[in-house]
Amino acid sequence: MAGLLAAGAPLRPAADDGSRRKAEPCGACHGPAGNSSIPTVPSLAGQPAIYLHWQLILFRDGRRPDPQMAPLAAALSDADMTELAAWYAAQKPVPPPRVPLTPAQADAGRALAERHFCFACHGAAFEGRDYAPRLSALHVDYLTSQLRRFKAGTRGDLDGAMTTAAQPLNDEAIVDLSRFIGGMGPP
Amino acid sequence: MSHIVVLIITVLALGATALGLPLAEAQQPPPSWKQGQPAELATSPLSPHAQPPAPKAPGEIPVDKLKVPSGFKVSLWASGLPNARVMTWGDKGTLFVSSRVAGNVYAVLDRGGSREVKTIAKGLNLPNGIAFKNGVLYIAEIHRITKMEGIEDKLDAPPAMTPVYETLPKDAPHGWKYLAFGPDGKLYFNIGAPCNICIPPDTHANISSVNPDGSGFEYFAQGVRNSVGFDWHPVTKELYFATHARDWLGEDVPNDRLDHAPRKGLHFGFPYCHQGDIPDPEFGKGRSCAEFAPPLLKTGPHVAGNGVQFYTGSMFPPEYRNRMFLAQRGSWNRSQKTGFKVMMVTLRPGDVPRYETFAEGWLDGDKFWGRPVYTQQMKDGSLLISDDYVGAIYRVTYQR
Repeated sequence: MAGLLAAGAPLRPAADDGSRRKAEPCGACHGPAGNSSIPTVPSLAGQPAIYLHWQLILFRDGRRPDPQMAPLAAALSDADMTELAAWYAAQKPVPPPRVPLTPAQADAGRALAERHFCFACHGAAFEGRDYAPRLSALHVDYLTSQLRRFKAGTRGDLDGAMTTAAQPLNDEAIVDLSRFIGGMGPP
Repeated sequence: MSHIVVLIITVLALGATALGLPLAEAQQPPPSWKQGQPAELATSPLSPHAQPPAPKAPGEIPVDKLKVPSGFKVSLWASGLPNARVMTWGDKGTLFVSSRVAGNVYAVLDRGGSREVKTIAKGLNLPNGIAFKNGVLYIAEIHRITKMEGIEDKLDAPPAMTPVYETLPKDAPHGWKYLAFGPDGKLYFNIGAPCNICIPPDTHANISSVNPDGSGFEYFAQGVRNSVGFDWHPVTKELYFATHARDWLGEDVPNDRLDHAPRKGLHFGFPYCHQGDIPDPEFGKGRSCAEFAPPLLKTGPHVAGNGVQFYTGSMFPPEYRNRMFLAQRGSWNRSQKTGFKVMMVTLRPGDVPRYETFAEGWLDGDKFWGRPVYTQQMKDGSLLISDDYVGAIYRVTYQR
């Protein structure tokens, strides 16, 4: 079942229209088809549906503290969350303007990503899988803010994995890593 | 990590800093599911199965695929309980149900023909462990045990959770707990090893106990990698517990375990010795498996035994009296899946227990659709089985 909800899987036209309407309020921040133009707001297009649905639960229950998202998630039923997650998972990610990297920055970033096992959960092209979101085609500012919050222990995650993974990172590494991930080519 | 290794690394790191070399060259720990993976398995596609965020609708749960022994019947008893795990009875007929990653605790009321589900707590830190006594529901999360007093009369306006014991280790890996009252009136729980394979701190890899008022913390059994299911024999009152063995040692080794702890103070081998007879390739050096208590039963590699419960009802045939049910949530670290069923263990003094399948059908070839995780007896002697994957509870009845 989860395979059908992977990025790029098309929905039936009628279902798509209904879900698109349901997602309209979300578009104000996350962009009309889930591609955000606000650097501190994540793009949702092409994220694993399981990841999106769990994040809505974490927002609703206060496990991922966010005063903006909490009341919005609380207003959603299980069925709403399933539908929104599936719709966003099926949208095509459009990368933000690419931040050019020097070869040295690319090498340093890749070394960090390998040393900290980012690819092991997020995929060889950062395409994401299950609980691990797609990191490609996201704003560098968003990536940086999330890693800083994981390091500080203030960005909840489902099972503690990212909070643990961020502990060995100093801020320089966070900046280098976010720049590397943001500077990778389109998915 | 041993103290000597930490010391050596610290000295080298300080030395490196003095020479202006980057510290960050040291390999960082991988995600916990990958830790201990040897180089030759680095490209393995195996990783833990993601938990569906929403429960399955009753019409989508294929109960007819479940098989039980002749004379038994299995039906869907309750659904709509995301990530349903441990079940424990209140004094007034309420069934409390825990969850793990979903962070919720539920109360289920039996309305005769149907069940009503209430969520009495949410946003908790993997609250797998629940136990009930004298009107009080105790909840064990990763980092603390709390209680809700008088909850059964206040299901729609649950009381605040108040502290019982709050200084437990905070490690997420194997940090979720099973919680149960022992024959001595103490609350027993596991503190799992914070890794797949490592030398755990002295505070970890054990089964411990505490009084319901939070006093009297005590280690009961050591060398237990992670046990999230245990029960005491109805007659001898001795502890029997299931343990999850390490990963990334191979398809067929080591076996998960069922152990018997007739007294406090035994060491069951982790991390030095697995399944009673396999020294760990790294940590077993210089040790002998003979130093440690061997398993009562090797229950199969990677089967993930959770719920352990002795049957004490009178609905099932007499040979089921004092038999143990072992719910196996099923494998992730094996290319051919195993587990995903409820086994039964019949103790035979002086002999290896008899070990047979009770309920199966959650695994269909190479695909699973559900994961049985705990059992609980009803007053009438029927058996409830929770399924944390589809978020439901089944009921098994018997008629001659």
